[in-house]
Amino acid sequence: MKTTKLILIAMAVLLLVFALTGCGGSDDTTTTTSTTTSDDSNGTAVSGVVKTGGSTSVEKVMNALIYQFQDDNREATIDYEMNGSGDGIKGTIDGLYEIGHSSRELKDDGTEDGLDAIPYAIDGIAIVVNSGNDVADLSTEQLRDIYTGEITNWSEVGGASAPITVVTREDGSGTRDAFAEIIGLEKGGSNIVASASIEDSTGKVQTNVAGNPNAIGYMSYSDVDASQVNTVKYNGVEISEATLKDSSYALKREFLLVTKSGAALSPAAQEFINFILSDAGQKLVADNKLLPIN
Amino acid sequence: MESADSARERVDTIIGSRGSKTLIERVMNIVFIVCGFAAVVCVIAMTAYMITSGGPAIARIGVVPFLFGQVWNPTNSQFGIAPMILASIIATFSAILIALPVGVLVAVFLAKLVPKRFSGVLRQIIDLLAGIPSVVYGLLGVILIVPLIFKLQAALGLPTVGSLLAAIIILVIMILPTIISVSETSIRAVPQKYEDASLALGSTKLQSIIKVTVPAAKNGIVAGMVLGVGRAIGEAMAVMMVAGNAAIMPQLLGPVRLLTASIPIEWAYSSGLHREALYGIGLVLFIFIMLINITLNMLLKRSAD
Repeated sequence: MKTTKLILIAMAVLLLVFALTGCGGSDDTTTTTSTTTSDDSNGTAVSGVVKTGGSTSVEKVMNALIYQFQDDNREATIDYEMNGSGDGIKGTIDGLYEIGHSSRELKDDGTEDGLDAIPYAIDGIAIVVNSGNDVADLSTEQLRDIYTGEITNWSEVGGASAPITVVTREDGSGTRDAFAEIIGLEKGGSNIVASASIEDSTGKVQTNVAGNPNAIGYMSYSDVDASQVNTVKYNGVEISEATLKDSSYALKREFLLVTKSGAALSPAAQEFINFILSDAGQKLVADNKLLPIN
Repeated sequence: MESADSARERVDTIIGSRGSKTLIERVMNIVFIVCGFAAVVCVIAMTAYMITSGGPAIARIGVVPFLFGQVWNPTNSQFGIAPMILASIIATFSAILIALPVGVLVAVFLAKLVPKRFSGVLRQIIDLLAGIPSVVYGLLGVILIVPLIFKLQAALGLPTVGSLLAAIIILVIMILPTIISVSETSIRAVPQKYEDASLALGSTKLQSIIKVTVPAAKNGIVAGMVLGVGRAIGEAMAVMMVAGNAAIMPQLLGPVRLLTASIPIEWAYSSGLHREALYGIGLVLFIFIMLINITLNMLLKRSAD
């Protein structure tokens, strides 16, 4: 009995080992072939791992950029940890990331010194309401009064009589900082009405507003799904690529790549930044409903 | 003689000789000690970590402004968590208040009243409920409960928003399975003769269950309650999805933010004192859960004596 069991176990182990070796072998072959092809097609391909991290707002465009870059440079890997602008900037200062992603400006209070910021895209901030809401236009004044709690009913801004549910991003969010600054709230939106519903991502703001007939929110234009929510005109201007480009739509902010001043970047990191600012990279930016920087 | 002796030795030992047996015993002893200490070390390390990372922020903000301050506005350096503490306490205890009687009655039903062939199926369904990830309960809340409450809020002329009520309902659903299965086990563990004796004295079946069996199972029911409180107060994901998350004094139909939800919501973009204050919230939560466990354990012990 015992011996048969032992033999069976030994056989199972051997089988497993062979199977795994088989996997490894075939993997090796594929990598080699793909490397050769990419080397043939692209003489200047760079290699290595670039650690980056930060803003969640840039997720869509950044994933598209990384995908394309890695496709062009099969030996290079771009890591992208999505943990928010604050962590991205802090991680870059601490040397955790070679490139940090930020969807807000660097702070000038001394905590974020020694960094270079490279803008690569401009993102519109869309004002969104429920699809059943017929309010189509809000002025800066009205928007500010809604977010500070002075206006509490949709009838005060030309809608049906219903209490307004204010939806906002959490404290410290890049979108929130930019929004507060542009419509003239206090720094960081600290005077946003305390009863405002708080959502911690662009997607959750959209879901909340889509399911709540009386809600108003603001979010990255690149993520707006017109089948879920309505965008509202800001001072009479509809948000679109054209109005962002000619600056008639004023609610917008820059997406930044953050690097340490004076530190030499690895070839792969430098190449990645060059790629983002190149025509090909900027085309991807435009494809993601963002405004190219050039 | 000799062969009999060696045969006995073979039976007595695990592997061949006496020497290797004691060796294995010793090694396994060490393995068990290491495993046992791993748990203890984890708890101690976590306590130390929470105190060292949350303590300084609380000291800088001040214990009273931190615990009793009514305004949470990190951008303005206002770090009062009183509204969140209140919201957490109210949500947890309302949930327990509703879930405990319902849970115990369901447990009685399962243990004593339901026909045998259904009880197995029912129990499996309830155990399954206990294992569902909290985010799924959150989804249930967002899709089913929140829209219903929106209707109520709209009818009352209130803003339609995630609310304390939604959080309580979600928590009740989440902790019910725990309370039911622990209570049911303890009710089943009560010797049948208690009930028989009560029946023999002329009481009805329901009277015997409610007045004899359930009181005898009190300890298990309290244990279920402890587990329920623990799950409710520690829950972040599900309540975050339905509660509206505004850090203001709680109202039943208004948005609330629970202590737990504050950390995942603000973690990503926080820095400096703001982030340390979030550690501080973690510390408060930690102390909270310890206090609850200690008090309930003491209650349990006293009732056992």
